Amino acid sequence: MGLIFFPAFDWAITPTHPEREERLLYTRDQIFEEGLMDLPQVEEYKPRLAELKDIARVHFCIPSVESLVTEAHLIAAGSTLVLADAYMKKEITNAFALVRPPGHHSMRVAHGNRGFCNVNNEAIMVEYIRRKYGIRRVAIIDTDVHHGDGTQDIFYHDPDVLFISFHQDGRTLYPGSGFVDEQGGPKAIGRTINIPLPPETPDEGIHLVLEELVLPILTEFRPQLVVNSAGQDNHYTDPLANMRFSAQGYAKLNEMLAPDIAVLEGGYAIETALPYVNCGIILAMAGLDYSNVREPDYHPGRFAMSRAMEANITGTIEYLQGIWEAREELTAKAVERAGPFFRRHKNIFYDTDGIREKQTESVKMCPDKSCPGYMTIDTDAVRGYGSSDSGFGVFVPLFACKRCREEAREEYEAHKTDSRYNYVFFQDKNSDNFRLYSARMHNERVY
Amino acid sequence: MLIGIDVGGTTTDAVLIDKGKVINTSKVPTDQDHLLECLMSALDELVREVSPEKIERVVLSTTLITNLIAEGKTDPVALIMEPGPGMNPEGYNLGGEVQIVRGAIDYRGREIQALDEDQVKNAAAKISERGYRKVAVASKFGQRNHSHEEKMREIVLAVSPGIQVEMGHRASGRLNFPRRMATTMLKIAAQDRYREFAREIAEAISKRKIEAPIYILKADGGTLPLETSVEYPVETIFSGPAASTMGVLALTPPGQTSVVVDIGGTTTDLALILDGVPLMSSEGAKVNSYLTHIRAFAVKSVALGGDSLVRAAGDGVALGPERAGPAYCLGGPEPTPTDAMRLLSMISIGERSLAEEAMSNLGKDLGCSAGEAAQKVVDTAVDELLAEINGMFLAWELEPAYRVWEILQKEKIRPQNVVGVGGGSLGLVPLVAERLGARGIIPENATVANAIGAAVARPTLTLTFRADTERGFYNVAEDGTTGEIRDRKFSQKEAEAMAKRLIIERAEMMGIKEYASEAVVTASEVFNMVRGWSTSGRILDVNMQIPAGLIPEWTGGGRV
Repeated sequence: MGLIFFPAFDWAITPTHPEREERLLYTRDQIFEEGLMDLPQVEEYKPRLAELKDIARVHFCIPSVESLVTEAHLIAAGSTLVLADAYMKKEITNAFALVRPPGHHSMRVAHGNRGFCNVNNEAIMVEYIRRKYGIRRVAIIDTDVHHGDGTQDIFYHDPDVLFISFHQDGRTLYPGSGFVDEQGGPKAIGRTINIPLPPETPDEGIHLVLEELVLPILTEFRPQLVVNSAGQDNHYTDPLANMRFSAQGYAKLNEMLAPDIAVLEGGYAIETALPYVNCGIILAMAGLDYSNVREPDYHPGRFAMSRAMEANITGTIEYLQGIWEAREELTAKAVERAGPFFRRHKNIFYDTDGIREKQTESVKMCPDKSCPGYMTIDTDAVRGYGSSDSGFGVFVPLFACKRCREEAREEYEAHKTDSRYNYVFFQDKNSDNFRLYSARMHNERVY
Repeated sequence: MLIGIDVGGTTTDAVLIDKGKVINTSKVPTDQDHLLECLMSALDELVREVSPEKIERVVLSTTLITNLIAEGKTDPVALIMEPGPGMNPEGYNLGGEVQIVRGAIDYRGREIQALDEDQVKNAAAKISERGYRKVAVASKFGQRNHSHEEKMREIVLAVSPGIQVEMGHRASGRLNFPRRMATTMLKIAAQDRYREFAREIAEAISKRKIEAPIYILKADGGTLPLETSVEYPVETIFSGPAASTMGVLALTPPGQTSVVVDIGGTTTDLALILDGVPLMSSEGAKVNSYLTHIRAFAVKSVALGGDSLVRAAGDGVALGPERAGPAYCLGGPEPTPTDAMRLLSMISIGERSLAEEAMSNLGKDLGCSAGEAAQKVVDTAVDELLAEINGMFLAWELEPAYRVWEILQKEKIRPQNVVGVGGGSLGLVPLVAERLGARGIIPENATVANAIGAAVARPTLTLTFRADTERGFYNVAEDGTTGEIRDRKFSQKEAEAMAKRLIIERAEMMGIKEYASEAVVTASEVFNMVRGWSTSGRILDVNMQIPAGLIPEWTGGGRV
């Protein structure tokens, strides 16, 4: 396996924030003391900085990519790209980016930091790989305790990206989303699967979900790449959530899922969980025995699953199996119901930076069945009591038809002179062309 | 006057230096089975006309430990291991008798499971029954809390009084448990033989009425007083490349970036000096199949030398790895790179006509003239060395980094000099330099640069200080010194001052206090520990070292 360990020992959101220098200190101690980097099965790679274009390929950053990311973000994202290249060139059989800062709460439009995330590392990596190596079908399994709402947002209308997130029920935890009825855009129903789990779900519960739901769906979807968006805050000691997973549970999860590339997300039990969980994941991904990895206060059978909880989880699994099986019919119906454009309104809250954003997303329901249609987003964000930033983004996905690409370009040009917007963004994945027009500065930046 | 003697694989080289000048040299063939005699004959030849009281410093290197380990002739050692949670301890491949016991310490040095003392007793009894007289005891994270290792030692001694016991934290304080176990085992396995050797050396030198201090050269290019070195026998390995690299450091202008090319008969050792500092291997040295914590220069050994066998391989030629004997032009049996260089007049040793014969035989296989064949051999050799050198720079650039600033600041470095030293033919050096866009240098005394390096190398020392103010203590990884810290607001400045005091004490203990002022802080870091949104303490890490360097008495620095 390939491994990048980038603890960013000189970077924090604020000195006392959970996302601070100390977060991976004890993990460093444990994995270095174990000598994991010396194992013939483990190849350690050095991070690099991602290019601004790699960010612009995914995000509409307001006011600009440069102002939204620090060097630490570029390194975390860049680390995933180093491993992606090594994996695609077959230098390694799988990889783990054990890096911070995290990214899975970052949505396509990014005004600032939400859920400790500025830019979405997994999405940046997936779009880089699809662009550079021409693969099409990707599965992202989000195993963080929080709903991977950013990743979901970015791939919501993409029928080629299967996004599965299991997490503590959104009614009990940030970001308050990830319910079973969030199933993907009209042309991609069933390609977003959310599995809310009751608080205090132990290892057994997650292994049940994996065995009964996730693995069978993956077998059918036949992804060319499986990514684990690997949060570690389902742990029974995590201070920000309420689940009951153990290091053994995490190691087994990775053995069962066998992701091609795993990328660290959250996990803030920096002493009681992370050293053990990371050690377990590395051993499992390297194909080594992880049975001796355990937290000091853990013993097998410490957390049992109640009958009621099992029934609850089984119910969710059965419901989602039904959605997955009926996805073609549901897609046809949803497209019919949507009319020429599918529209939805979103209210998004940036907890870290205190921003309220209102979005209207609009997707062209192209009559060409194989064309996913282009999308526009109208965004307006208010910081505190102060200024508001408004923007308009036009997005052309891979495999869009010629007509959609042309219409999208016209939309972009038309909105550049629309006085309601401070920033207008254009993203064409087919030509790898990304533009940001600033109405205030009257200039266009091409990434 | 300064004396340096470097024992190499085939020859033992010695130099006598006075006022920054090499005033005498000697060379004797190395006899690996009689190292003492060989060191002394090189010494005797060197100082035949010098009165012993004029000698101020003697530095020796030795291949004793390298050989003992390579030949598996070190003493048998049993290991009692306390692995705690983590990797399956059965997966460690340390050879010999291994006993695993229950108990655990965590990354901050807290006991998370009590040591199972009965198990240790049983283990000690078994080890003693099986006839072992040397035992290593090691806890995972034992460097952060020595109590379990000390308890294990106590129990083993109680079970078999008089047995030798070595504790893991005494061998190294760095993170990496498998390396620490291997280092501990090698240390205790080699110690008796080394102590005997050191005693004989001291005796032999004193017999010659030389009263100057005696030092031993280490793999990190530093020296240690002979009497202190018995505590660190394994650090004497790989002294050959260390000696050559220190020699180049002494013979080139300070602060430059150089590639050290030490060409021997069958191998070429490559090392790097970056901005005047020899590049250390980022991890410890690999000794046989064991990964250790021994600090060593980053050296790449290439199976290519002046005496390598040359063969036709398709349109091109293949060089080495086997030795052909001496070069054909020196009466050997097969064509070698030396013959190619002789024919092209790059060097002047040996018979030109024999070189021509060798190359024309090779040319027949290749379907070309002797001159063309010779050119192919030289080109191939240069290509191979270049590839290895570029690989070393790349490996250095790609070394993992864990901080934002480290990623941002690491830039591409290109060498200014390619410096050829050693006993082999150095004709390739200018060609390699040209291809790298660097200056080719073959210093005066290049064939004894290794002995010069030994003579003028100063002591090195490291100190790894860690304070954990929440738990209220500090420790020094290298020797297990611990103490209390009562002040929760203990600052980075105070930590650095304390580390500085401790390295001075440590230098005194090692017998090198006059170099303590050369100690520098190489890394200093503070981690605020936050528990429940408020700061509960700090972890302060300070690394200090006396880096590899030259003694002030050396004034012969490079004037290229």
